[in-house]
Amino acid sequence: MKILQNSEEPIYQQIAVQFRGQILSGTIQEGSYLPSIRGLAQELKISVITTMKAYEMLAEEGLVTAVQGKGFLVNAQNRELVKEQHLRQVEADLQNAITSAHIAGLTDDELVEMMQTLIRVSHEGE
Amino acid sequence: MRIEHLVKKYSRFTLGPVDLEIPEGFATALIGENGAGKTTLLDSIAGIHSFTSGNVMWLGTYTDVDEPDVRNGIGYCSSNNFFPDAWTMRNVKRAMPAAFDNFSMDKFRLLCREFRLEDDSGARRPLKILKYSDGNKMRLALAATMARSTKMLILDEPGSSLDPVMRDDLCCRFRSYLAEGGGRTSILFSTHDIADMESAADYVIFMAYGKIIKTGFTEDLRAQYRYVHGDAALADKAHTHLETMYVSGGVFEGLCEIEKAGIFTAADFTDVAVEQPTLRQLSVLLLRGAERRAAESAA
Repeated sequence: MKILQNSEEPIYQQIAVQFRGQILSGTIQEGSYLPSIRGLAQELKISVITTMKAYEMLAEEGLVTAVQGKGFLVNAQNRELVKEQHLRQVEADLQNAITSAHIAGLTDDELVEMMQTLIRVSHEGE
Repeated sequence: MRIEHLVKKYSRFTLGPVDLEIPEGFATALIGENGAGKTTLLDSIAGIHSFTSGNVMWLGTYTDVDEPDVRNGIGYCSSNNFFPDAWTMRNVKRAMPAAFDNFSMDKFRLLCREFRLEDDSGARRPLKILKYSDGNKMRLALAATMARSTKMLILDEPGSSLDPVMRDDLCCRFRSYLAEGGGRTSILFSTHDIADMESAADYVIFMAYGKIIKTGFTEDLRAQYRYVHGDAALADKAHTHLETMYVSGGVFEGLCEIEKAGIFTAADFTDVAVEQPTLRQLSVLLLRGAERRAAESAA
Protein backbone atom coordinates (compact mmCIF):
# COMPACT_ATOMS: atom_id res chain seq x y z
CA MET A 1 0.00 0.00 0.00
CA LYS A 2 1.26 3.44 -0.93
CA ILE A 3 0.90 6.19 1.66
CA LEU A 4 1.97 9.81 1.15
CA GLN A 5 2.94 11.21 4.54
CA ASN A 6 2.85 14.86 3.49
CA SER A 7 -0.18 14.86 1.23
CA GLU A 8 -3.18 17.18 1.35
CA GLU A 9 -5.27 14.02 1.41
CA PRO A 10 -5.49 12.68 4.97
CA ILE A 11 -3.74 9.34 5.50
CA TYR A 12 -6.93 7.57 6.60
CA GLN A 13 -8.55 8.62 3.34
CA GLN A 14 -5.61 7.31 1.29
CA ILE A 15 -5.97 3.95 3.02
CA ALA A 16 -9.74 3.88 2.53
CA VAL A 17 -9.43 4.74 -1.18
CA GLN A 18 -6.97 1.90 -1.79
CA PHE A 19 -9.00 -0.70 0.07
CA ARG A 20 -12.18 0.51 -1.63
CA GLY A 21 -10.54 -0.05 -5.01
CA GLN A 22 -9.34 -3.51 -4.06
CA ILE A 23 -12.73 -4.52 -2.66
CA LEU A 24 -14.71 -3.24 -5.65
CA SER A 25 -12.34 -4.83 -8.15
CA GLY A 26 -12.54 -8.12 -6.27
CA THR A 27 -8.82 -8.18 -5.43
CA ILE A 28 -9.92 -8.52 -1.82
CA GLN A 29 -12.70 -11.09 -1.87
CA GLU A 30 -15.96 -11.01 0.01
CA GLY A 31 -15.92 -13.06 3.18
CA SER A 32 -12.26 -12.30 3.86
CA TYR A 33 -11.01 -9.98 6.59
CA LEU A 34 -9.04 -6.77 6.20
CA PRO A 35 -5.62 -6.82 7.93
CA SER A 36 -5.96 -6.21 11.67
CA ILE A 37 -6.05 -2.54 12.66
CA ARG A 38 -2.94 -2.72 14.83
CA GLY A 39 -1.10 -4.97 12.41
CA LEU A 40 -1.68 -2.53 9.56
CA ALA A 41 -0.64 0.43 11.72
CA GLN A 42 2.59 -1.40 12.53
CA GLU A 43 3.18 -2.24 8.88
CA LEU A 44 2.50 1.28 7.59
CA LYS A 45 4.19 3.03 10.54
CA ILE A 46 1.12 5.10 11.30
CA SER A 47 -1.05 5.44 14.38
CA VAL A 48 -3.67 2.85 15.27
CA ILE A 49 -6.43 5.47 15.29
CA THR A 50 -5.64 6.44 11.70
CA THR A 51 -6.15 2.91 10.39
CA MET A 52 -9.24 2.59 12.55
CA LYS A 53 -10.71 5.72 11.02
CA ALA A 54 -10.05 4.38 7.51
CA TYR A 55 -11.84 1.12 8.35
CA GLU A 56 -14.76 2.98 9.90
CA MET A 57 -15.14 4.94 6.66
CA LEU A 58 -15.33 1.69 4.69
CA ALA A 59 -17.84 0.31 7.20
CA GLU A 60 -20.04 3.40 6.83
CA GLU A 61 -20.07 2.87 3.08
CA GLY A 62 -21.21 -0.71 3.66
CA LEU A 63 -18.11 -2.21 2.06
CA VAL A 64 -17.06 -3.96 5.26
CA THR A 65 -18.68 -4.88 8.58
CA ALA A 66 -16.99 -4.76 11.98
CA VAL A 67 -17.21 -8.17 13.63
CA GLN A 68 -16.66 -8.11 17.40
CA GLY A 69 -13.36 -9.73 18.27
CA LYS A 70 -12.57 -10.75 14.71
CA GLY A 71 -11.97 -7.62 12.68
CA PHE A 72 -13.44 -6.10 9.55
CA LEU A 73 -15.25 -8.50 7.22
CA VAL A 74 -15.50 -7.69 3.52
CA ASN A 75 -19.16 -7.71 2.48
CA ALA A 76 -20.65 -9.07 -0.72
CA GLN A 77 -20.69 -6.18 -3.19
CA ASN A 78 -23.55 -5.35 -5.47
CA ARG A 79 -21.69 -5.83 -8.78
CA GLU A 80 -24.45 -4.31 -10.91
CA LEU A 81 -24.50 -1.20 -8.78
CA VAL A 82 -20.72 -0.90 -8.87
CA LYS A 83 -20.71 -1.33 -12.66
CA GLU A 84 -23.45 1.27 -13.01
CA GLN A 85 -21.38 3.75 -10.97
CA HIS A 86 -18.34 3.14 -13.13
CA LEU A 87 -20.36 3.62 -16.34
CA ARG A 88 -21.66 6.94 -15.07
CA GLN A 89 -18.09 8.01 -14.30
CA VAL A 90 -16.98 7.06 -17.84
CA GLU A 91 -19.84 9.11 -19.32
CA ALA A 92 -18.98 12.12 -17.21
CA ASP A 93 -15.28 11.94 -18.11
CA LEU A 94 -16.03 11.57 -21.82
CA GLN A 95 -18.41 14.51 -21.63
CA ASN A 96 -15.56 16.58 -20.14
CA ALA A 97 -13.30 15.49 -23.00
CA ILE A 98 -15.91 16.52 -25.58
CA THR A 99 -16.33 19.93 -23.96
CA SER A 100 -12.57 20.48 -23.91
CA ALA A 101 -12.27 19.32 -27.54
CA HIS A 102 -14.86 21.91 -28.63
CA ILE A 103 -12.99 24.66 -26.81
CA ALA A 104 -9.74 23.55 -28.48
CA GLY A 105 -11.46 23.54 -31.89
CA LEU A 106 -11.00 19.82 -32.56
CA THR A 107 -13.32 18.15 -35.07
CA ASP A 108 -15.30 15.10 -34.02
CA ASP A 109 -13.11 12.87 -36.19
CA GLU A 110 -9.93 14.26 -34.65
CA LEU A 111 -11.31 13.59 -31.19
CA VAL A 112 -12.21 10.00 -32.06
CA GLU A 113 -8.76 9.50 -33.56
CA MET A 114 -7.11 10.85 -30.44
CA MET A 115 -9.23 8.52 -28.33
CA GLN A 116 -8.17 5.52 -30.42
CA THR A 117 -4.50 6.47 -30.15
CA LEU A 118 -4.81 6.76 -26.37
CA ILE A 119 -6.50 3.38 -26.14
CA ARG A 120 -3.70 1.83 -28.20
CA VAL A 121 -1.04 3.41 -26.02
CA SER A 122 -2.71 2.24 -22.83
CA HIS A 123 -2.92 -1.34 -24.20
CA GLU A 124 0.77 -1.25 -25.05
CA GLY A 125 1.48 -0.20 -21.47
CA GLU A 126 -0.26 -3.26 -20.06
CA MET B 1 -7.48 2.98 33.30
CA ARG B 2 -9.81 5.47 34.90
CA ILE B 3 -8.77 8.42 37.05
CA GLU B 4 -11.30 10.36 39.09
CA HIS B 5 -10.70 13.68 40.86
CA LEU B 6 -7.08 12.89 41.44
CA VAL B 7 -5.31 15.60 43.43
CA LYS B 8 -1.71 15.72 44.57
CA LYS B 9 -0.76 18.72 46.66
CA TYR B 10 2.72 20.07 47.16
CA SER B 11 3.55 23.27 48.98
CA ARG B 12 4.18 25.13 45.72
CA PHE B 13 2.30 23.05 43.17
CA THR B 14 -1.05 21.34 42.96
CA LEU B 15 -1.87 18.65 40.45
CA GLY B 16 -5.51 18.29 39.54
CA PRO B 17 -8.26 17.62 40.06
CA VAL B 18 -7.62 15.22 37.19
CA ASP B 19 -10.39 13.18 35.58
CA LEU B 20 -9.24 10.91 32.80
CA GLU B 21 -9.93 7.71 31.02
CA ILE B 22 -7.00 6.11 29.20
CA PRO B 23 -8.39 4.07 26.30
CA GLU B 24 -7.43 0.41 26.08
CA GLY B 25 -5.59 -0.78 23.00
CA PHE B 26 -4.07 2.56 22.09
CA ALA B 27 -1.02 4.73 22.64
CA THR B 28 -1.85 7.83 24.65
CA ALA B 29 0.47 10.83 24.68
CA LEU B 30 0.51 13.13 27.69
CA ILE B 31 1.64 16.47 26.30
CA GLY B 32 2.64 19.51 28.29
CA GLU B 33 5.46 21.90 28.95
CA ASN B 34 8.12 21.30 31.57
CA GLY B 35 6.54 21.81 34.97
CA ALA B 36 2.99 21.13 33.75
CA GLY B 37 2.70 18.18 36.14
CA LYS B 38 3.17 15.29 33.72
CA THR B 39 5.67 13.42 35.87
CA THR B 40 3.63 14.05 39.02
CA LEU B 41 0.58 12.58 37.31
CA LEU B 42 2.45 9.55 35.94
CA ASP B 43 4.16 8.88 39.26
CA SER B 44 0.80 9.09 41.02
CA ILE B 45 -0.92 6.57 38.78
CA ALA B 46 2.13 4.30 38.61
CA GLY B 47 2.03 4.04 42.40
CA ILE B 48 5.46 5.65 42.84
CA HIS B 49 4.06 8.08 45.37
CA SER B 50 0.71 8.52 47.04
CA PHE B 51 -1.79 11.16 46.05
CA THR B 52 -3.72 13.54 48.26
CA SER B 53 -7.21 12.53 47.14
CA GLY B 54 -9.12 10.87 44.33
CA ASN B 55 -9.53 7.40 42.86
CA VAL B 56 -7.70 5.40 40.26
CA MET B 57 -9.00 2.24 38.65
CA TRP B 58 -6.09 0.18 37.30
CA LEU B 59 -6.38 -2.19 34.33
CA GLY B 60 -10.14 -1.77 34.33
CA THR B 61 -10.83 -3.59 37.61
CA TYR B 62 -8.33 -2.90 40.39
CA THR B 63 -8.46 -0.08 42.91
CA ASP B 64 -5.24 -0.99 44.71
CA VAL B 65 -1.93 -0.32 43.00
CA ASP B 66 -0.20 -2.93 45.19
CA GLU B 67 -2.28 -5.80 43.79
CA PRO B 68 0.15 -8.33 42.23
CA ASP B 69 -1.76 -8.19 38.93
CA VAL B 70 -1.32 -4.43 38.79
CA ARG B 71 2.33 -4.57 39.80
CA ASN B 72 3.06 -7.21 37.19
CA GLY B 73 0.70 -5.86 34.58
CA ILE B 74 2.03 -2.32 34.43
CA GLY B 75 5.50 -1.53 33.16
CA TYR B 76 6.62 1.84 34.42
CA CYS B 77 9.72 3.68 33.28
CA SER B 78 10.78 7.02 34.77
CA SER B 79 12.64 9.64 32.77
CA ASN B 80 15.81 9.45 34.84
CA ASN B 81 17.48 7.48 37.61
CA PHE B 82 15.47 4.38 36.80
CA PHE B 83 18.39 2.24 37.98
CA PRO B 84 20.90 3.33 40.63
CA ASP B 85 24.02 5.00 39.19
CA ALA B 86 26.36 2.50 40.84
CA TRP B 87 24.69 -0.43 39.06
CA THR B 88 25.98 -2.10 35.90
CA MET B 89 24.34 -4.21 33.23
CA ARG B 90 25.09 -7.21 35.45
CA ASN B 91 22.98 -5.79 38.31
CA VAL B 92 20.10 -5.08 35.96
CA LYS B 93 20.12 -8.63 34.61
CA ARG B 94 20.06 -10.01 38.14
CA ALA B 95 17.48 -7.63 39.58
CA MET B 96 14.81 -7.63 36.89
CA PRO B 97 14.01 -11.38 36.93
CA ALA B 98 14.02 -11.30 40.74
CA ALA B 99 11.60 -8.36 40.88
CA PHE B 100 9.17 -9.42 38.17
CA ASP B 101 7.75 -12.85 37.30
CA ASN B 102 7.08 -11.85 33.73
CA PHE B 103 10.56 -10.63 32.80
CA SER B 104 11.99 -12.40 29.77
CA MET B 105 15.78 -12.46 29.55
CA ASP B 106 15.61 -13.46 25.88
CA LYS B 107 13.43 -10.49 25.10
CA PHE B 108 15.74 -8.22 27.09
CA ARG B 109 18.76 -9.37 25.08
CA LEU B 110 16.83 -8.87 21.86
CA LEU B 111 15.76 -5.36 22.88
CA CYS B 112 19.32 -4.44 23.89
CA ARG B 113 20.48 -5.51 20.44
CA GLU B 114 17.67 -3.59 18.77
CA PHE B 115 18.44 -0.51 20.86
CA ARG B 116 22.14 -0.94 19.96
CA LEU B 117 23.03 -1.24 23.61
CA GLU B 118 26.17 -3.17 24.43
CA ASP B 119 25.70 -6.02 26.88
CA ASP B 120 28.96 -5.88 28.85
CA SER B 121 27.69 -7.96 31.78
CA GLY B 122 30.28 -10.62 30.92
CA ALA B 123 33.15 -8.14 31.10
CA ARG B 124 35.49 -8.13 34.07
CA ARG B 125 34.47 -4.58 34.98
CA PRO B 126 31.16 -3.68 33.34
CA LEU B 127 30.47 0.02 32.88
CA LYS B 128 28.61 1.76 35.70
CA ILE B 129 25.27 3.28 34.73
CA LEU B 130 26.67 6.57 36.05
CA LYS B 131 28.97 6.58 33.00
CA TYR B 132 26.18 5.87 30.51
CA SER B 133 25.00 8.70 28.26
CA ASP B 134 21.45 9.97 28.91
CA GLY B 135 20.30 8.22 25.75
CA ASN B 136 21.81 4.91 26.79
CA LYS B 137 20.34 5.18 30.30
CA MET B 138 16.92 5.58 28.72
CA ARG B 139 17.50 2.70 26.29
CA LEU B 140 18.50 0.43 29.15
CA ALA B 141 15.46 1.41 31.20
CA LEU B 142 13.15 0.92 28.21
CA ALA B 143 14.69 -2.45 27.32
CA ALA B 144 14.25 -3.63 30.92
CA THR B 145 10.65 -2.39 31.09
CA MET B 146 9.61 -3.68 27.68
CA ALA B 147 11.19 -7.09 28.26
CA ARG B 148 8.35 -7.78 30.67
CA SER B 149 5.06 -9.15 29.47
CA THR B 150 2.67 -6.39 30.51
CA LYS B 151 -0.81 -5.04 29.86
CA MET B 152 0.18 -1.41 30.03
CA LEU B 153 3.31 0.68 29.70
CA ILE B 154 3.64 3.99 31.52
CA LEU B 155 6.69 5.81 30.18
CA ASP B 156 7.87 9.23 31.32
CA GLU B 157 9.54 11.20 28.50
CA PRO B 158 10.80 8.07 26.73
CA GLY B 159 11.77 9.97 23.58
CA SER B 160 13.41 13.08 25.03
CA SER B 161 16.95 11.80 25.38
CA LEU B 162 16.88 9.72 22.21
CA ASP B 163 18.12 10.75 18.78
CA PRO B 164 15.62 10.89 15.88
CA VAL B 165 16.52 7.44 14.54
CA MET B 166 16.10 5.87 17.95
CA ARG B 167 12.83 7.73 18.45
CA ASP B 168 11.58 6.25 15.20
CA ASP B 169 12.58 2.79 16.46
CA LEU B 170 10.73 3.49 19.69
CA CYS B 171 7.54 4.40 17.79
CA CYS B 172 7.84 1.09 15.90
CA ARG B 173 8.20 -0.76 19.22
CA PHE B 174 5.06 0.99 20.48
CA ARG B 175 3.07 -0.15 17.48
CA SER B 176 4.31 -3.73 17.72
CA TYR B 177 3.50 -3.77 21.45
CA LEU B 178 -0.07 -2.71 20.63
CA ALA B 179 -0.32 -5.17 17.72
CA GLU B 180 0.92 -8.08 19.84
CA GLY B 181 -1.65 -7.19 22.50
CA GLY B 182 -4.44 -7.31 19.93
CA GLY B 183 -6.31 -4.41 21.50
CA ARG B 184 -5.75 -5.45 25.13
CA THR B 185 -2.49 -3.59 25.75
CA SER B 186 -2.10 0.16 26.17
CA ILE B 187 0.67 2.71 26.36
CA LEU B 188 0.71 6.00 28.21
CA PHE B 189 3.76 8.16 27.57
CA SER B 190 4.59 11.76 28.31
CA THR B 191 6.42 14.18 26.09
CA HIS B 192 7.05 17.89 25.82
CA ASP B 193 7.79 17.57 22.11
CA ILE B 194 5.32 15.51 20.14
CA ALA B 195 6.84 16.25 16.70
CA ASP B 196 8.79 13.02 16.30
CA MET B 197 6.18 10.84 17.92
CA GLU B 198 3.08 12.00 16.11
CA SER B 199 2.72 8.74 14.24
CA ALA B 200 2.65 6.79 17.48
CA ALA B 201 0.00 8.82 19.34
CA ASP B 202 -3.60 7.69 19.04
CA TYR B 203 -5.07 9.62 21.94
CA VAL B 204 -3.68 12.80 23.44
CA ILE B 205 -3.99 14.51 26.79
CA PHE B 206 -2.89 18.15 26.92
CA MET B 207 -1.78 19.37 30.29
CA ALA B 208 -0.84 22.80 31.67
CA TYR B 209 -0.39 24.16 35.16
CA GLY B 210 -1.35 20.88 36.79
CA LYS B 211 -4.65 20.61 34.95
CA ILE B 212 -5.96 18.72 31.93
CA ILE B 213 -6.88 21.24 29.24
CA LYS B 214 -7.94 18.96 26.39
CA THR B 215 -8.23 15.27 25.54
CA GLY B 216 -9.21 13.35 22.44
CA PHE B 217 -8.27 10.97 19.67
CA THR B 218 -5.72 12.63 17.40
CA GLU B 219 -7.75 12.18 14.22
CA ASP B 220 -10.82 13.69 15.89
CA LEU B 221 -8.93 16.70 17.25
CA ARG B 222 -7.26 17.34 13.91
CA ALA B 223 -10.67 17.18 12.24
CA GLN B 224 -12.23 19.42 14.88
CA TYR B 225 -9.86 22.36 14.33
CA ARG B 226 -8.29 24.33 11.52
CA TYR B 227 -4.88 25.93 11.75
CA VAL B 228 -5.29 29.57 10.68
CA HIS B 229 -2.33 31.83 10.00
CA GLY B 230 -1.54 35.03 8.17
CA ASP B 231 -0.20 38.57 8.31
CA ALA B 232 -0.12 40.05 11.80
CA ALA B 233 -2.05 43.09 10.50
CA LEU B 234 -5.13 40.84 10.28
CA ALA B 235 -4.73 39.50 13.81
CA ASP B 236 -7.30 41.82 15.43
CA LYS B 237 -9.91 41.00 12.86
CA ALA B 238 -9.25 37.26 13.04
CA HIS B 239 -9.03 37.13 16.81
CA THR B 240 -12.78 36.98 17.57
CA HIS B 241 -13.18 33.87 15.43
CA LEU B 242 -10.29 31.95 16.93
CA GLU B 243 -10.25 29.74 19.99
CA THR B 244 -6.60 30.51 20.62
CA MET B 245 -4.23 32.89 18.88
CA TYR B 246 -0.83 34.43 19.23
CA VAL B 247 1.25 36.87 17.25
CA SER B 248 4.98 36.59 16.77
CA GLY B 249 7.28 37.97 14.10
CA GLY B 250 5.05 39.33 11.38
CA VAL B 251 2.42 36.63 11.55
CA PHE B 252 -0.49 35.50 13.66
CA GLU B 253 -1.30 31.86 14.22
CA GLY B 254 -4.43 30.42 15.71
CA LEU B 255 -6.87 27.56 15.93
CA CYS B 256 -10.46 27.87 14.89
CA GLU B 257 -13.25 25.37 15.27
CA ILE B 258 -14.11 23.66 11.99
CA GLU B 259 -17.65 25.10 11.99
CA LYS B 260 -16.23 28.62 11.95
CA ALA B 261 -13.53 27.97 9.34
CA GLY B 262 -15.85 29.23 6.57
CA ILE B 263 -15.46 32.78 7.90
CA PHE B 264 -11.90 32.83 6.64
CA THR B 265 -12.99 32.33 3.03
CA ALA B 266 -14.54 35.83 3.14
CA ALA B 267 -12.94 38.64 1.12
CA ASP B 268 -11.46 40.25 4.27
CA PHE B 269 -9.31 37.19 4.79
CA THR B 270 -8.00 36.36 1.32
CA ASP B 271 -4.42 36.39 2.61
CA VAL B 272 -5.16 34.07 5.50
CA ALA B 273 -4.19 30.41 5.18
CA VAL B 274 -6.48 27.76 6.62
CA GLU B 275 -5.32 24.15 6.89
CA GLN B 276 -5.64 21.00 8.94
CA PRO B 277 -3.31 21.27 11.93
CA THR B 278 -0.56 18.79 12.67
CA LEU B 279 -0.47 17.44 16.20
CA ARG B 280 2.53 19.65 16.89
CA GLN B 281 0.67 22.78 15.78
CA LEU B 282 -2.32 21.76 17.90
CA SER B 283 -0.03 21.26 20.89
CA VAL B 284 1.74 24.59 20.58
CA LEU B 285 -1.46 26.58 20.14
CA LEU B 286 -3.51 24.83 22.82
CA LEU B 287 -0.66 25.14 25.32
CA ARG B 288 -0.12 28.80 24.40
CA GLY B 289 -3.82 29.40 24.91
CA ALA B 290 -3.61 27.88 28.40
CA GLU B 291 -0.55 30.01 29.15
CA ARG B 292 -2.41 33.14 28.16
CA ARG B 293 -5.48 32.29 30.23
CA ALA B 294 -3.25 31.60 33.24
CA ALA B 295 -1.53 34.97 32.76
CA GLU B 296 -4.88 36.73 32.49
CA SER B 297 -6.31 35.13 35.60
CA ALA B 298 -3.14 35.95 37.53
CA ALA B 299 -3.37 39.62 36.49
